[in-house]
Amino acid sequence: MKRDLKLERVYPRPPERVWRALTDRRALSQWLMETDFEPTLGHRFTFRARPQPGWDGITYCEVIELDPPRRLAYTWRGGPGKDRPLTLDTVVRFTLTPEGSGTRLILEHTGFSGLKSVLVSFMMKAGWNKMLRTSLDAVIAGLA
Amino acid sequence: MFRALGDPTRRAILDRLRHRERPVSELCAPFAMSQPAISQHLKVLADAGLVTATRCGRERVYRLRAAPLRDAHDWLGHFEQFWPAKLDNLAAYLDGESDDPES
Repeated sequence: MKRDLKLERVYPRPPERVWRALTDRRALSQWLMETDFEPTLGHRFTFRARPQPGWDGITYCEVIELDPPRRLAYTWRGGPGKDRPLTLDTVVRFTLTPEGSGTRLILEHTGFSGLKSVLVSFMMKAGWNKMLRTSLDAVIAGLA
Repeated sequence: MFRALGDPTRRAILDRLRHRERPVSELCAPFAMSQPAISQHLKVLADAGLVTATRCGRERVYRLRAAPLRDAHDWLGHFEQFWPAKLDNLAAYLDGESDDPES
């Protein structure tokens, strides 16, 4: 069972165009979520979405890598809100490389290390599978 | 919570609490560690909301709390759905853009 998320896509646009979609506030609000992102190292910003069970809908971020048009990373933190502890403390990283006249985009969402194996062991042995599946379905339904 | 789960001793403690609550003395038994060291690990787990303690005579008895682990699992499942959908959105966004870079 993998511990982090890694996705690759090739887009038929040059890296500069993909980079702009990743770093322009209006573009981000269209394809990702409402945000006050700025392409500045150390900039703190949020993404805002509809609240879900266990999540107040706010993702707290800080730009930690900025190398246009190649590499962008920010912290990605969130939780139930109202002074309750964070349940998510992770990093999202985009890596762009030219591919023909297009761009290969690698998305890595990391920081789940050590967690999944524990959870799987708990789920399997404690019979939580059905319960987890139900709550997960509710989260996905809420996204639609 | 992620920090709390990053330590193998703490994960082993959680594993031992999976089936039933246990007093500190029982939790210490399988580890080559002093009780204060184990108590420190238990404090980290308690601060992360993963265990709760109740006093029973002279000992503290620890019990696993399921909710934070369930929340964390929801996060992982959430992003396994979330990012592919968003990267599709990005493709649609880039498709919809004019080929004129100034537009």
